[in-house]
Amino acid sequence: MEVRALSGAKIEYFFSFRSPYSYLSGPRAFALPERFAVEIEFRGVIPMAMRGQSVPRAKALNTLRDVDREARRLGMPFGRIHDPLGDGAMRCLLVSELAKDEGLEPAFVLAASRAIWAEAVDVSTDDGLRPVCERAGLSWNGCRDALQDPSMRERVDANTAALADLGQWGVPVFRFGEEIFWGQDRIEDLETVLREAGLST
Amino acid sequence: MVGLSRIDGPARFGADLRRRLGRRGRVELYFAFDDPNSAVAVIDLAERLVDFDVLLILDPVVNRGIPDDPAVEEKRRFAITDARRLFKRAGLTLRRNEPIRPEHTAFLAEWAASSLPGPALTKFCVAAMRQLWLVGDDEIDPALYADLWHEAFGDDPPPAGAGADAVRANERRMARRGPYDTPAVWVHGQWSFAHDRLPRIADRLDELGWRFEP
Repeated sequence: MEVRALSGAKIEYFFSFRSPYSYLSGPRAFALPERFAVEIEFRGVIPMAMRGQSVPRAKALNTLRDVDREARRLGMPFGRIHDPLGDGAMRCLLVSELAKDEGLEPAFVLAASRAIWAEAVDVSTDDGLRPVCERAGLSWNGCRDALQDPSMRERVDANTAALADLGQWGVPVFRFGEEIFWGQDRIEDLETVLREAGLST
Repeated sequence: MVGLSRIDGPARFGADLRRRLGRRGRVELYFAFDDPNSAVAVIDLAERLVDFDVLLILDPVVNRGIPDDPAVEEKRRFAITDARRLFKRAGLTLRRNEPIRPEHTAFLAEWAASSLPGPALTKFCVAAMRQLWLVGDDEIDPALYADLWHEAFGDDPPPAGAGADAVRANERRMARRGPYDTPAVWVHGQWSFAHDRLPRIADRLDELGWRFEP
Protein backbone atom coordinates (compact mmCIF):
# COMPACT_ATOMS: atom_id res chain seq x y z
CA MET A 1 0.00 0.00 0.00
CA GLU A 2 2.85 2.34 0.80
CA VAL A 3 4.48 1.83 -2.61
CA ARG A 4 1.12 2.40 -4.29
CA ALA A 5 0.64 5.68 -2.48
CA LEU A 6 4.12 6.81 -3.46
CA SER A 7 3.68 5.97 -7.14
CA GLY A 8 0.42 7.87 -7.51
CA ALA A 9 -0.33 5.78 -10.56
CA LYS A 10 -3.99 5.35 -11.36
CA ILE A 11 -6.04 3.23 -13.74
CA GLU A 12 -9.48 4.43 -14.66
CA TYR A 13 -11.72 1.40 -15.08
CA PHE A 14 -14.87 2.01 -17.15
CA PHE A 15 -17.46 -0.66 -16.48
CA SER A 16 -21.08 -1.43 -17.35
CA PHE A 17 -23.25 -3.74 -15.31
CA ARG A 18 -24.99 -4.76 -18.54
CA SER A 19 -21.73 -5.84 -20.18
CA PRO A 20 -20.84 -9.49 -19.63
CA TYR A 21 -17.28 -8.70 -20.68
CA SER A 22 -17.16 -6.16 -17.85
CA TYR A 23 -18.26 -8.93 -15.52
CA LEU A 24 -15.44 -11.16 -16.77
CA SER A 25 -12.90 -8.38 -16.26
CA GLY A 26 -13.86 -7.58 -12.66
CA PRO A 27 -11.80 -10.03 -10.59
CA ARG A 28 -8.63 -9.42 -12.61
CA ALA A 29 -9.10 -5.65 -12.72
CA PHE A 30 -9.60 -5.25 -9.01
CA ALA A 31 -6.64 -7.58 -8.35
CA LEU A 32 -4.20 -5.37 -10.27
CA PRO A 33 -3.19 -3.36 -7.14
CA GLU A 34 -2.06 -6.64 -5.57
CA ARG A 35 0.71 -6.93 -8.16
CA PHE A 36 1.27 -3.36 -9.31
CA ALA A 37 1.69 -0.03 -7.55
CA VAL A 38 -1.53 1.39 -8.96
CA GLU A 39 -4.91 2.47 -7.75
CA ILE A 40 -8.07 1.47 -9.57
CA GLU A 41 -10.62 4.21 -10.06
CA PHE A 42 -13.91 2.50 -10.83
CA ARG A 43 -16.12 4.41 -13.24
CA GLY A 44 -19.49 2.84 -13.86
CA VAL A 45 -21.15 3.89 -17.13
CA ILE A 46 -24.66 3.75 -18.51
CA PRO A 47 -25.15 0.77 -20.88
CA MET A 48 -24.85 1.37 -24.63
CA ALA A 49 -28.46 0.37 -25.18
CA MET A 50 -29.53 3.11 -22.74
CA ARG A 51 -27.35 5.64 -24.55
CA GLY A 52 -29.24 5.30 -27.83
CA GLN A 53 -26.71 2.91 -29.38
CA SER A 54 -28.29 -0.18 -30.90
CA VAL A 55 -26.86 -3.63 -30.34
CA PRO A 56 -27.65 -5.95 -33.26
CA ARG A 57 -29.14 -9.33 -32.36
CA ALA A 58 -26.27 -11.14 -34.07
CA LYS A 59 -23.81 -9.26 -31.89
CA ALA A 60 -25.76 -10.08 -28.74
CA LEU A 61 -25.90 -13.80 -29.56
CA ASN A 62 -22.24 -14.04 -30.50
CA THR A 63 -21.32 -12.17 -27.35
CA LEU A 64 -23.20 -14.56 -25.07
CA ARG A 65 -21.64 -17.61 -26.72
CA ASP A 66 -18.17 -16.11 -26.53
CA VAL A 67 -18.58 -14.98 -22.92
CA ASP A 68 -19.74 -18.45 -21.94
CA ARG A 69 -16.56 -19.96 -23.36
CA GLU A 70 -14.39 -17.27 -21.80
CA ALA A 71 -16.08 -17.67 -18.42
CA ARG A 72 -15.33 -21.37 -18.43
CA ARG A 73 -11.72 -20.65 -19.36
CA LEU A 74 -11.46 -18.17 -16.48
CA GLY A 75 -13.27 -20.46 -14.04
CA MET A 76 -16.10 -17.97 -13.52
CA PRO A 77 -19.78 -18.88 -13.20
CA PHE A 78 -21.96 -17.63 -16.05
CA GLY A 79 -25.26 -18.33 -17.71
CA ARG A 80 -28.08 -17.74 -15.25
CA ILE A 81 -28.79 -14.22 -16.44
CA HIS A 82 -31.26 -11.51 -15.57
CA ASP A 83 -30.84 -8.65 -18.03
CA PRO A 84 -30.40 -5.47 -15.94
CA LEU A 85 -31.23 -3.12 -18.81
CA GLY A 86 -33.01 -0.07 -17.43
CA ASP A 87 -33.61 0.27 -13.71
CA GLY A 88 -31.42 -2.67 -12.74
CA ALA A 89 -28.30 -1.25 -14.35
CA MET A 90 -28.99 2.27 -13.10
CA ARG A 91 -29.58 1.15 -9.51
CA CYS A 92 -26.30 -0.76 -9.52
CA LEU A 93 -24.52 2.29 -10.90
CA LEU A 94 -25.93 4.54 -8.18
CA VAL A 95 -25.04 2.11 -5.41
CA SER A 96 -21.56 1.65 -6.87
CA GLU A 97 -20.96 5.38 -6.38
CA LEU A 98 -21.88 5.00 -2.71
CA ALA A 99 -19.63 1.94 -2.54
CA LYS A 100 -16.74 4.04 -3.87
CA ASP A 101 -17.25 6.53 -1.06
CA GLU A 102 -17.02 3.69 1.43
CA GLY A 103 -14.10 1.92 -0.25
CA LEU A 104 -16.30 -1.07 -0.98
CA GLU A 105 -16.62 -0.82 -4.76
CA PRO A 106 -14.66 -3.98 -5.54
CA ALA A 107 -16.89 -6.03 -3.28
CA PHE A 108 -20.09 -4.47 -4.58
CA VAL A 109 -19.20 -4.51 -8.26
CA LEU A 110 -18.09 -8.13 -8.14
CA ALA A 111 -21.14 -9.18 -6.15
CA ALA A 112 -23.63 -7.28 -8.31
CA SER A 113 -22.19 -8.37 -11.64
CA ARG A 114 -22.06 -11.98 -10.49
CA ALA A 115 -25.68 -11.71 -9.36
CA ILE A 116 -26.71 -10.41 -12.77
CA TRP A 117 -24.68 -12.77 -14.98
CA ALA A 118 -24.49 -15.95 -12.96
CA GLU A 119 -27.32 -15.96 -10.45
CA ALA A 120 -30.22 -14.40 -12.42
CA VAL A 121 -30.90 -11.86 -9.68
CA ASP A 122 -33.32 -9.09 -10.62
CA VAL A 123 -31.43 -6.08 -9.28
CA SER A 124 -34.19 -3.74 -10.37
CA THR A 125 -36.13 -4.86 -7.28
CA ASP A 126 -35.29 -4.20 -3.65
CA ASP A 127 -35.63 -7.90 -2.92
CA GLY A 128 -32.94 -8.59 -5.51
CA LEU A 129 -30.57 -5.73 -4.82
CA ARG A 130 -30.62 -5.62 -1.04
CA PRO A 131 -28.85 -8.97 -0.43
CA VAL A 132 -26.23 -8.03 -3.02
CA CYS A 133 -25.53 -4.74 -1.23
CA GLU A 134 -25.38 -6.39 2.17
CA ARG A 135 -23.12 -9.15 0.84
CA ALA A 136 -20.71 -6.38 -0.16
CA GLY A 137 -20.82 -4.83 3.32
CA LEU A 138 -23.09 -1.90 2.48
CA SER A 139 -26.00 -0.89 4.69
CA TRP A 140 -29.34 -1.06 2.92
CA ASN A 141 -30.44 2.26 4.40
CA GLY A 142 -27.43 3.96 2.86
CA CYS A 143 -28.08 2.27 -0.47
CA ARG A 144 -31.71 3.41 -0.46
CA ASP A 145 -30.56 6.97 0.10
CA ALA A 146 -28.04 6.67 -2.75
CA LEU A 147 -30.78 5.50 -5.12
CA GLN A 148 -32.58 8.82 -4.52
CA ASP A 149 -29.48 11.03 -4.45
CA PRO A 150 -29.18 13.26 -7.55
CA SER A 151 -25.46 13.75 -6.94
CA MET A 152 -24.90 10.03 -7.48
CA ARG A 153 -26.66 10.22 -10.82
CA GLU A 154 -24.49 13.20 -11.75
CA ARG A 155 -21.41 11.14 -11.03
CA VAL A 156 -22.66 8.30 -13.23
CA ASP A 157 -23.39 10.76 -16.03
CA ALA A 158 -19.89 12.20 -15.65
CA ASN A 159 -18.38 8.73 -15.92
CA THR A 160 -20.36 8.06 -19.07
CA ALA A 161 -19.34 11.38 -20.59
CA ALA A 162 -15.70 10.70 -19.73
CA LEU A 163 -15.82 7.43 -21.67
CA ALA A 164 -17.23 9.22 -24.69
CA ASP A 165 -14.57 11.93 -24.36
CA LEU A 166 -11.96 9.20 -24.71
CA GLY A 167 -13.50 8.29 -28.06
CA GLN A 168 -14.53 4.92 -26.68
CA TRP A 169 -17.86 3.18 -27.25
CA GLY A 170 -17.71 -0.16 -25.44
CA VAL A 171 -16.57 -1.54 -22.12
CA PRO A 172 -14.63 -2.55 -20.20
CA VAL A 173 -12.09 0.17 -20.89
CA PHE A 174 -8.94 0.82 -18.90
CA ARG A 175 -7.14 4.13 -19.05
CA PHE A 176 -3.58 4.37 -17.80
CA GLY A 177 -2.04 7.76 -18.59
CA GLU A 178 -2.56 8.30 -22.29
CA GLU A 179 -3.01 4.60 -23.03
CA ILE A 180 -6.46 3.12 -23.56
CA PHE A 181 -7.20 -0.59 -23.39
CA TRP A 182 -10.55 -1.95 -24.52
CA GLY A 183 -11.65 -5.44 -23.60
CA GLN A 184 -11.33 -7.98 -20.83
CA ASP A 185 -8.81 -9.79 -23.01
CA ARG A 186 -6.49 -6.78 -23.11
CA ILE A 187 -5.69 -6.79 -19.39
CA GLU A 188 -2.49 -8.66 -20.21
CA ASP A 189 -1.43 -5.79 -22.46
CA LEU A 190 -2.19 -3.33 -19.67
CA GLU A 191 -0.06 -5.44 -17.35
CA THR A 192 2.78 -5.30 -19.88
CA VAL A 193 2.62 -1.51 -19.88
CA LEU A 194 2.52 -1.43 -16.07
CA ARG A 195 5.60 -3.66 -15.92
CA GLU A 196 7.40 -1.48 -18.46
CA ALA A 197 6.51 1.55 -16.33
CA GLY A 198 8.30 -0.08 -13.39
CA LEU A 199 5.15 -0.49 -11.35
CA SER A 200 5.51 -4.18 -10.48
CA THR A 201 5.50 -4.75 -6.74
CA MET B 1 -29.21 -19.31 -25.57
CA VAL B 2 -26.22 -19.97 -23.35
CA GLY B 3 -27.41 -23.54 -22.80
CA LEU B 4 -27.82 -24.09 -26.54
CA SER B 5 -24.35 -22.76 -27.21
CA ARG B 6 -22.92 -25.49 -24.99
CA ILE B 7 -24.28 -28.27 -27.20
CA ASP B 8 -21.17 -29.46 -28.99
CA GLY B 9 -22.08 -32.99 -29.99
CA PRO B 10 -22.96 -32.21 -33.62
CA ALA B 11 -19.64 -30.39 -34.15
CA ARG B 12 -17.69 -33.31 -32.69
CA PHE B 13 -19.69 -35.82 -34.74
CA GLY B 14 -19.16 -33.75 -37.88
CA ALA B 15 -15.41 -33.54 -37.32
CA ASP B 16 -15.19 -37.25 -36.75
CA LEU B 17 -17.22 -37.95 -39.87
CA ARG B 18 -15.00 -35.70 -41.96
CA ARG B 19 -11.94 -37.62 -40.80
CA ARG B 20 -13.58 -40.97 -41.59
CA LEU B 21 -14.29 -39.70 -45.09
CA GLY B 22 -10.66 -38.66 -45.46
CA ARG B 23 -11.49 -34.96 -45.49
CA ARG B 24 -9.64 -32.21 -43.71
CA GLY B 25 -10.92 -29.88 -41.02
CA ARG B 26 -12.01 -26.37 -41.92
CA VAL B 27 -11.17 -23.00 -40.47
CA GLU B 28 -12.96 -20.15 -42.24
CA LEU B 29 -11.66 -16.64 -41.76
CA TYR B 30 -13.56 -13.60 -42.94
CA PHE B 31 -11.07 -10.77 -43.05
CA ALA B 32 -10.36 -7.36 -44.58
CA PHE B 33 -7.05 -6.14 -45.91
CA ASP B 34 -7.70 -2.65 -44.51
CA ASP B 35 -8.20 -4.06 -41.00
CA PRO B 36 -5.01 -4.35 -38.92
CA ASN B 37 -6.61 -6.91 -36.62
CA SER B 38 -7.29 -9.03 -39.70
CA ALA B 39 -3.57 -8.79 -40.41
CA VAL B 40 -2.90 -10.13 -36.92
CA ALA B 41 -5.25 -13.04 -37.56
CA VAL B 42 -4.09 -13.94 -41.07
CA ILE B 43 -0.39 -13.89 -40.18
CA ASP B 44 -0.90 -15.81 -36.95
CA LEU B 45 -3.28 -18.47 -38.26
CA ALA B 46 -1.17 -19.21 -41.32
CA GLU B 47 1.60 -20.21 -38.92
CA ARG B 48 -0.47 -21.67 -36.08
CA LEU B 49 -2.46 -24.04 -38.29
CA VAL B 50 0.52 -25.85 -39.81
CA ASP B 51 0.30 -28.29 -36.88
CA PHE B 52 -3.26 -29.24 -37.81
CA ASP B 53 -4.86 -31.20 -40.64
CA VAL B 54 -7.14 -28.33 -41.56
CA LEU B 55 -7.75 -26.14 -44.58
CA LEU B 56 -7.58 -22.41 -43.89
CA ILE B 57 -10.26 -20.79 -46.00
CA LEU B 58 -9.56 -17.09 -46.42
CA ASP B 59 -12.66 -15.11 -47.37
CA PRO B 60 -11.88 -11.43 -47.95
CA VAL B 61 -14.55 -8.78 -47.50
CA VAL B 62 -14.60 -5.00 -47.87
CA ASN B 63 -17.98 -3.85 -46.52
CA ARG B 64 -18.79 -4.96 -42.99
CA GLY B 65 -19.63 -3.64 -39.53
CA ILE B 66 -22.77 -2.59 -37.71
CA PRO B 67 -25.06 -0.61 -40.06
CA ASP B 68 -25.00 3.14 -39.30
CA ASP B 69 -22.48 2.59 -36.52
CA PRO B 70 -21.67 6.09 -35.19
CA ALA B 71 -18.34 4.90 -33.82
CA VAL B 72 -16.96 3.42 -37.03
CA GLU B 73 -14.15 5.97 -37.44
CA GLU B 74 -13.15 5.72 -33.78
CA LYS B 75 -13.09 1.93 -34.07
CA ARG B 76 -10.98 2.08 -37.22
CA ARG B 77 -8.48 4.33 -35.48
CA PHE B 78 -8.43 2.37 -32.24
CA ALA B 79 -7.83 -0.84 -34.21
CA ILE B 80 -4.37 0.51 -35.03
CA THR B 81 -3.54 0.86 -31.33
CA ASP B 82 -5.02 -2.53 -30.52
CA ALA B 83 -3.30 -4.35 -33.36
CA ARG B 84 0.02 -2.76 -32.42
CA ARG B 85 -0.24 -4.41 -29.01
CA LEU B 86 -1.29 -7.76 -30.47
CA PHE B 87 1.62 -7.72 -32.91
CA LYS B 88 3.90 -6.82 -30.03
CA ARG B 89 2.82 -10.00 -28.23
CA ALA B 90 4.14 -11.88 -31.28
CA GLY B 91 7.36 -9.85 -31.40
CA LEU B 92 6.26 -7.91 -34.49
CA THR B 93 5.99 -4.17 -35.04
CA LEU B 94 3.08 -2.49 -36.77
CA ARG B 95 4.41 0.32 -38.94
CA ARG B 96 1.30 2.30 -39.79
CA ASN B 97 -0.16 5.04 -37.62
CA GLU B 98 -3.16 5.88 -39.75
CA PRO B 99 -6.06 3.67 -40.87
CA ILE B 100 -6.26 2.45 -44.45
CA ARG B 101 -9.43 3.33 -46.32
CA PRO B 102 -11.30 0.16 -47.37
CA GLU B 103 -11.46 1.24 -50.98
CA HIS B 104 -7.67 1.48 -51.15
CA THR B 105 -7.27 -2.26 -50.61
CA ALA B 106 -10.46 -3.43 -52.32
CA PHE B 107 -8.39 -4.66 -55.27
CA LEU B 108 -6.55 -7.06 -52.97
CA ALA B 109 -9.85 -8.47 -51.70
CA GLU B 110 -11.01 -8.95 -55.29
CA TRP B 111 -7.82 -10.75 -56.25
CA ALA B 112 -7.96 -13.02 -53.21
CA ALA B 113 -11.67 -13.74 -53.55
CA SER B 114 -11.18 -14.90 -57.12
CA SER B 115 -8.79 -17.67 -56.06
CA LEU B 116 -9.48 -21.05 -54.47
CA PRO B 117 -8.24 -21.59 -50.91
CA GLY B 118 -4.90 -23.28 -50.52
CA PRO B 119 -1.22 -22.67 -49.85
CA ALA B 120 -0.76 -20.15 -52.68
CA LEU B 121 -3.63 -17.96 -51.51
CA THR B 122 -2.49 -18.15 -47.91
CA LYS B 123 1.05 -17.25 -48.97
CA PHE B 124 -0.21 -14.23 -50.89
CA CYS B 125 -2.49 -13.00 -48.11
CA VAL B 126 0.26 -13.28 -45.51
CA ALA B 127 2.74 -11.48 -47.76
CA ALA B 128 0.25 -8.74 -48.59
CA MET B 129 -0.71 -8.22 -44.95
CA ARG B 130 2.95 -8.05 -43.95
CA GLN B 131 3.61 -5.50 -46.69
CA LEU B 132 0.56 -3.43 -45.77
CA TRP B 133 1.00 -3.36 -42.01
CA LEU B 134 4.50 -4.46 -41.02
CA VAL B 135 6.70 -3.07 -43.80
CA GLY B 136 5.24 -0.02 -45.47
CA ASP B 137 3.44 3.02 -44.23
CA ASP B 138 3.25 4.71 -47.60
CA GLU B 139 0.85 4.78 -50.52
CA ILE B 140 -0.44 1.39 -51.60
CA ASP B 141 1.11 0.56 -54.97
CA PRO B 142 -0.79 -2.23 -56.79
CA ALA B 143 2.35 -3.13 -58.75
CA LEU B 144 4.12 -4.15 -55.55
CA TYR B 145 1.23 -6.45 -54.65
CA ALA B 146 1.14 -7.86 -58.19
CA ASP B 147 4.73 -8.97 -57.57
CA LEU B 148 3.64 -10.70 -54.36
CA TRP B 149 0.82 -12.39 -56.25
CA HIS B 150 3.26 -13.58 -58.88
CA GLU B 151 5.56 -14.99 -56.20
CA ALA B 152 2.67 -16.93 -54.68
CA PHE B 153 0.84 -18.10 -57.80
CA GLY B 154 3.48 -17.89 -60.52
CA ASP B 155 1.04 -15.87 -62.59
CA ASP B 156 -0.37 -12.39 -62.99
CA PRO B 157 -3.20 -11.29 -60.70
CA PRO B 158 -6.78 -11.38 -62.00
CA PRO B 159 -7.96 -8.43 -64.07
CA ALA B 160 -9.58 -5.50 -62.30
CA GLY B 161 -13.11 -6.21 -61.17
CA ALA B 162 -12.88 -9.95 -61.77
CA GLY B 163 -13.38 -10.82 -58.11
CA ALA B 164 -15.86 -8.10 -57.14
CA ASP B 165 -18.86 -10.44 -57.21
CA ALA B 166 -16.97 -12.99 -55.12
CA VAL B 167 -16.22 -10.33 -52.49
CA ARG B 168 -19.89 -9.35 -52.35
CA ALA B 169 -20.79 -13.03 -51.98
CA ASN B 170 -18.36 -13.33 -49.06
CA GLU B 171 -19.92 -10.27 -47.42
CA ARG B 172 -23.41 -11.68 -47.80
CA ARG B 173 -22.37 -15.08 -46.48
CA MET B 174 -20.64 -13.54 -43.47
CA ALA B 175 -23.70 -11.45 -42.62
CA ARG B 176 -26.04 -14.41 -43.12
CA ARG B 177 -24.03 -16.60 -40.80
CA GLY B 178 -23.88 -14.08 -37.96
CA PRO B 179 -20.56 -12.24 -37.70
CA TYR B 180 -20.83 -8.55 -38.41
CA ASP B 181 -17.20 -7.52 -38.43
CA THR B 182 -13.70 -8.77 -39.15
CA PRO B 183 -11.68 -10.78 -38.45
CA ALA B 184 -14.33 -13.43 -37.84
CA VAL B 185 -13.31 -17.06 -37.66
CA TRP B 186 -15.50 -20.16 -37.82
CA VAL B 187 -14.10 -23.35 -36.39
CA HIS B 188 -16.51 -26.27 -36.60
CA GLY B 189 -19.60 -24.69 -35.09
CA GLN B 190 -18.01 -21.83 -33.18
CA TRP B 191 -17.59 -18.21 -34.23
CA SER B 192 -15.02 -15.90 -32.67
CA PHE B 193 -13.29 -12.65 -33.35
CA ALA B 194 -10.09 -14.29 -34.54
CA HIS B 195 -7.56 -11.77 -33.23
CA ASP B 196 -9.07 -12.05 -29.73
CA ARG B 197 -9.10 -15.84 -29.57
CA LEU B 198 -6.04 -17.12 -31.45
CA PRO B 199 -4.84 -19.61 -28.81
CA ARG B 200 -8.40 -20.83 -28.33
CA ILE B 201 -8.69 -21.65 -32.03
CA ALA B 202 -5.85 -24.13 -31.60
CA ASP B 203 -7.48 -25.45 -28.42
CA ARG B 204 -10.72 -25.98 -30.33
CA LEU B 205 -8.95 -27.89 -33.08
CA ASP B 206 -7.26 -30.01 -30.44
CA GLU B 207 -10.62 -30.75 -28.82
CA LEU B 208 -11.91 -31.95 -32.19
CA GLY B 209 -8.83 -34.05 -32.89
CA TRP B 210 -7.42 -32.18 -35.84
CA ARG B 211 -3.79 -31.97 -34.72
CA PHE B 212 -1.38 -34.00 -36.85
CA GLU B 213 -0.21 -37.14 -35.09
CA PRO B 214 3.38 -36.74 -33.84
